[in-house]
Amino acid sequence: MSSRASAPQIAVALLIAAFLAAFLVVPVLTVVYVAVTNPDGSLTLAHFAAFFELSLMRESFWNSLYVAGLTVLFSTVVALPLAYLTVRFQFRGAILIQTLGVLPLVMPAFVGAAAMQLLFGRSGTVNLLLQDWFGINIPLMQGLNGVIFVETLHYFPFILLNVSVALANIDTAMEEAAQNLGASGFRLFRRIVFPLARPGYVAGASLVFIKVFDDLGTPLVLNVTNMLAPQAYLRVTSIGIEDPIGYVICFILVGFSIAAMAGAAGFLRGREFATLQRGGAGAPRRTLTRWQAAIAYGWIGLVLLLVLSPHLGLLLLSFSKVWSYTLIPESFTLANYATVFTDSTRMIWNTLVYCGLAALLDVVLGTAIAYLVLRTKVPGRQILDHLATVALAMPGVVLGIGYLRTFRGVDLPFTDTPLVASWVVFVLAYSVRRLPYALRSCTAALQQVHVSLEEAAQNLGASQGRTIHRIVVPMMAGGIAAGFVTSFVTAAVEISETILLTSRESLAPMSYGIYLYMQSIAGRGPGAALGVIAVIVVAVGTYFSHRFVAARAAHQERRG
Amino acid sequence: MHARLPHFARRAVRAALPALLALAAPLAAGQQVTVITSFPKELTEAYKKAFEAKNPGAKVEILNKGTPAGVAYVRETPAGSRPDVFWASAPDAFEVLAKDGLLQKYDPGVVVPAKIGNYPINDPQGFYRGQALAGYGIMWNTRYTKANRLPDPQEWGDLAKPVYFGHVAMSSPSRSGTTHLTIETILQGEGWEKGWSQILQIAGNCAAITERSFGVPDGVSNGQYGIGLVIDFFGLAAKNSGFPIEFVYPSVTAIVPANIGLVNGAKNADMGRRFIQFALSEDGQLLLLDPKISRLPVLPQTYEKAPKGYPNPYAGTIKAKVNFDSGLSDERYYLVSALFDHTVTFRHKELVAATQAINGAAAQLAAKPNPRGRELLAAARAAAYTPVVEESKTKDKGFVAVFRQTKRDADATKRMTALEEHWGSAAKKNYARAVELANEAARLAK
Amino acid sequence: MSTAARVEARDVALAFGKTEVLRDISIVVEPGEFFTLLGPSGCGKSTLLRLIAGFNRAQRGAILIDGRDVTAVPPWKRELGMVFQSYALWPHLTVAQNVAFGLEERRLPRDEIRRKTRDALGLVGLGELSERRPHQLSGGQQQRVALARTLAIEPRVLLLDEPLSNLDAKLRVHMRHELGQLQRRLGITTIFVTHDQEEALTTSDRVAVMHQGVIQQVGTPMDLFDRPANRFVAEFVGTINVVSGTLQKSIGASVLFVSPQASSFSLPRTEEMPGHGAVTLAFRPHSLTLAETAGGGTRVWLDAVIEAREFLGEFVRYRVRVGGAELIADQMHFGGAPVYAPGKRVQVGLDPAQIKIFPEEAEATVAPARAAAGSA
Repeated sequence: MSSRASAPQIAVALLIAAFLAAFLVVPVLTVVYVAVTNPDGSLTLAHFAAFFELSLMRESFWNSLYVAGLTVLFSTVVALPLAYLTVRFQFRGAILIQTLGVLPLVMPAFVGAAAMQLLFGRSGTVNLLLQDWFGINIPLMQGLNGVIFVETLHYFPFILLNVSVALANIDTAMEEAAQNLGASGFRLFRRIVFPLARPGYVAGASLVFIKVFDDLGTPLVLNVTNMLAPQAYLRVTSIGIEDPIGYVICFILVGFSIAAMAGAAGFLRGREFATLQRGGAGAPRRTLTRWQAAIAYGWIGLVLLLVLSPHLGLLLLSFSKVWSYTLIPESFTLANYATVFTDSTRMIWNTLVYCGLAALLDVVLGTAIAYLVLRTKVPGRQILDHLATVALAMPGVVLGIGYLRTFRGVDLPFTDTPLVASWVVFVLAYSVRRLPYALRSCTAALQQVHVSLEEAAQNLGASQGRTIHRIVVPMMAGGIAAGFVTSFVTAAVEISETILLTSRESLAPMSYGIYLYMQSIAGRGPGAALGVIAVIVVAVGTYFSHRFVAARAAHQERRG
Repeated sequence: MHARLPHFARRAVRAALPALLALAAPLAAGQQVTVITSFPKELTEAYKKAFEAKNPGAKVEILNKGTPAGVAYVRETPAGSRPDVFWASAPDAFEVLAKDGLLQKYDPGVVVPAKIGNYPINDPQGFYRGQALAGYGIMWNTRYTKANRLPDPQEWGDLAKPVYFGHVAMSSPSRSGTTHLTIETILQGEGWEKGWSQILQIAGNCAAITERSFGVPDGVSNGQYGIGLVIDFFGLAAKNSGFPIEFVYPSVTAIVPANIGLVNGAKNADMGRRFIQFALSEDGQLLLLDPKISRLPVLPQTYEKAPKGYPNPYAGTIKAKVNFDSGLSDERYYLVSALFDHTVTFRHKELVAATQAINGAAAQLAAKPNPRGRELLAAARAAAYTPVVEESKTKDKGFVAVFRQTKRDADATKRMTALEEHWGSAAKKNYARAVELANEAARLAK
Repeated sequence: MSTAARVEARDVALAFGKTEVLRDISIVVEPGEFFTLLGPSGCGKSTLLRLIAGFNRAQRGAILIDGRDVTAVPPWKRELGMVFQSYALWPHLTVAQNVAFGLEERRLPRDEIRRKTRDALGLVGLGELSERRPHQLSGGQQQRVALARTLAIEPRVLLLDEPLSNLDAKLRVHMRHELGQLQRRLGITTIFVTHDQEEALTTSDRVAVMHQGVIQQVGTPMDLFDRPANRFVAEFVGTINVVSGTLQKSIGASVLFVSPQASSFSLPRTEEMPGHGAVTLAFRPHSLTLAETAGGGTRVWLDAVIEAREFLGEFVRYRVRVGGAELIADQMHFGGAPVYAPGKRVQVGLDPAQIKIFPEEAEATVAPARAAAGSA
């Protein structure tokens, strides 16, 4: 690492900065700007005043907070015991819990929502049975409840994974020391275990909060419109791109998301727990008593059943001809898949292209930023890192509206196609919002490559560029691949930006196709079939992503 | 000094390059027609396939947007890049477009009947034509109604009855052109006050006010709701697709055309004309008879090829009492939408609570009649089911015009939102009052 | 301080899965005693300590504290204080909060907690650091906080799991002095686990040497050093020379020791000597004398060659080759003492009285009876 930044390095940094500025910062700032200005350009808070005067808006605001908050609460209730079980106890069902940590993430929430409607809705399978047996009807999918239910089942793995890692990193001696001094059971958990795991929990919970707060697809599919994100979308699409209230909503969405992220980061900064001690070596995990084991398996069984329900429901729906007011579809057919394969090949192709290009862009940017931050002294490189990371907090709705507004009238170079009506806008929008994932993978991968390996290459005559090409990137390959896959997979099921940016069917990706198919009066079967394909794509991608990471870890172990 | 791509990525890019270029290359402008429509995939897919088969080399591009969104889109797209054909089942939207100069005249050379009943099918000035016909009606899920022991509804008024409480679904006029037409039909058929009263009662019986018009037939189809207010082809298509659905046209209904028009400033007007021609040709009309689509063709001769029992508006099988005045509808388009949203859609919970209380009290009073109670109950009904905007105000052009602003001006926005807010709180108060009165009435009947 | 307790492990056996970690362990720790469990890593000493603390369950046997069987009592009810090898200080609590923890668990009134916390920190000399957080302290300070934390609750027994092994050499020596002093002052029964025999010898009242889950010998440090019970103890505690061979026929009052490694020589017969057969001779380096020519007296003189020489200040350590064996001989150093260069032929004199003779035996079959007898 030289003591001064070199010109090529600075050039790359500027390029990246320009990209982020054009496709992340400017659209978001545009939205924010419109929310606080009059058409003549003067600053005003009138739009905010108008927003808060509308009781619907106040209600939507409260509802969004409510739904996000309750989702975090229920996710915690589901995830914490599972995390504690896997980490602290000798438990044969550990592999089950690990599956629970992955399965929900493979099905996008808005796709699962349709299936959940059929299973848990007013006249869904569960309620039909309950009505028959007990004469009761549980409004699980009614209004906001439905959104909370679906989102909880989809997002609890964030908390599960984060807390598991945090718990595993606690030296068991910490707990034993507390036990030795007299603490046990819940007191032990409250005073020692949870505070030490809290950073992991906060990281997971804040992410869940942001994602639920900003989610557009799930409320729309469930016909819930009195929340912030759906309101922004609806206002922009029905009233027009000029509606200032829509922008105020976007302002609030962005503001809250950034606040949540900053809050979590601030909280974590003061607590450098993970670095202090690693998991205790000698202490074996505790065993469960019969009684405890029964409860544990019972809980896991229940959660597993709930987690599998959207998958099962979607599968059933994809093969169904007619499913109406019955426990399961009354007639089955393969025609849905036939329809999908004949009519939607274009959409599947679109998804592959958009998401592939976006993921490619992401790993290139991610690697570049990681290298700039970790290996160079380019001034302001941390800003790039922060910018790229803050994209995680940008709601898809906001970016979509931002693009529509900022690039209105901008055509693709050399053509007369508006940018926002072309395929390029998808690649840009996806890559900007998936960049944080790729960046994280690339940074982690680069951190594993000790700088002495580069120095050795340079000592033997390779320039910095050659070193990057021949040494650094190949050694990062596993992480880059994992970042690529994560970017791809999350972009493939992205619906918030997609709904806003899809102007014509031929440009529509798979996720939009699913959304469209779900509006068909002849049955949601084809939509479910396409949904199943989407889930398979995501599952395969996630599997390969894990393989890349595991292969890299094994490789490191062998060498080190 | 930026990172180079790893090998596999480079190979992938090289492989995909030709495909990308293919995507990027603008489709030969002469062969693409862009149709903006709110119609579902079955319909657009069928027309797309048939048109492309008939015109080799042509490509049909569908822009799927709800009608209000579609109108906004056309308005906001600069001339020369606009979609070519606007195709929707909301004649009032076409009125709006025509008035704003967003359509151009075109004569497809097909004779489309001028009226259905008293309602004009085509624009007298030639800016748009009817392409299909539709009525509005009630669809229900027979399994649901059987399980909940609900009688089959016949008229809109039936849906206001207490027995249907919590079993009905409808969409909102601001979201759905067809719902807007349904509401207007009721308002024109029953008059402003009585119409709103009926609408409010029906809404009070609703389990949900859905986001798109599709939400209603979809919910009824899969048994989530029992009964829905829908455009006829939703009910008929669902029934013909094998779902346990029945559909009926109430007498207070209008047959209204689905229109097709050529957009002014279209990107490819030539292809647009060809598409319109196709849609109005015999082949194009026959497509409407597909069971998954189940729409009413506009050309009378098509019905000769229709299956037995297929509704035929020209043969008088649909009793349509209302003579739809689309001018009136157009004038108060936004007013009606906003009023519905702020007193029904966003206050639905309170309205339902009022209806529940009123039904409860009515049941009590039926068992134990009480004159004072009856008075209170009538007052409760009046509180809940009277529109917050009186008929006289709707005749005030200035008042109605407030809602036609395109919302750029902060002042105008303020005025409008102030009004909307006023309605919302007025409605909320009314419904709460209704609950109070009804509970009082119920108490007297104990 | 509460009364020190008597700790007993009786016939304890513990296995993790198929691996036997503790086999037939019985020890008694007297009240107020500083008792050390000494052994190489993997010998089971930490496991035994954790068993006493309650973090393991033995398959067989019992743990008794003051005669009361606590085998089924969970760790938080045993009233023992344990200091962990990693100190296990909670990073989210201050030093004072860490130390007060046990007191809070006992629901003592607030001012009493404050007083006892202050006293405990005073005992270890850390009074001014009470508001710091663990990561702001040095290793030695952290160790003292961990100690204070346990002392605050005035336990009847103090368990220390290799508490000094994370400190650097000088600090370790200093801390073990302090620890010893503190223990003597407070009089708590202390069980100390270490793999460092120097630590064990300098601080303990009694030591139990463990190997592969079996107690090899229990005794005072001097006992272990002077009279190791078997070859393992002999080699583990202090440095020792070991020669294998056979004891052959007795000739009058002597017996012949034949070794393929070293040369053969006669030893005076004693009663404790095992009978004829394969044996191991063990003798400490400082029991050897080096001289130019063989002297007389009771010593056994053998031919040797100096291989290497290390100067250690108080003595010079020679490696000498006797026949096929390499022996270590330590010679006290003082001005004027003879010093031999490598390569020199010398005579090395063994003192028979200092030679311990062990029959060849399988390592870990020391009869429990011997362990429990202690130094008696």
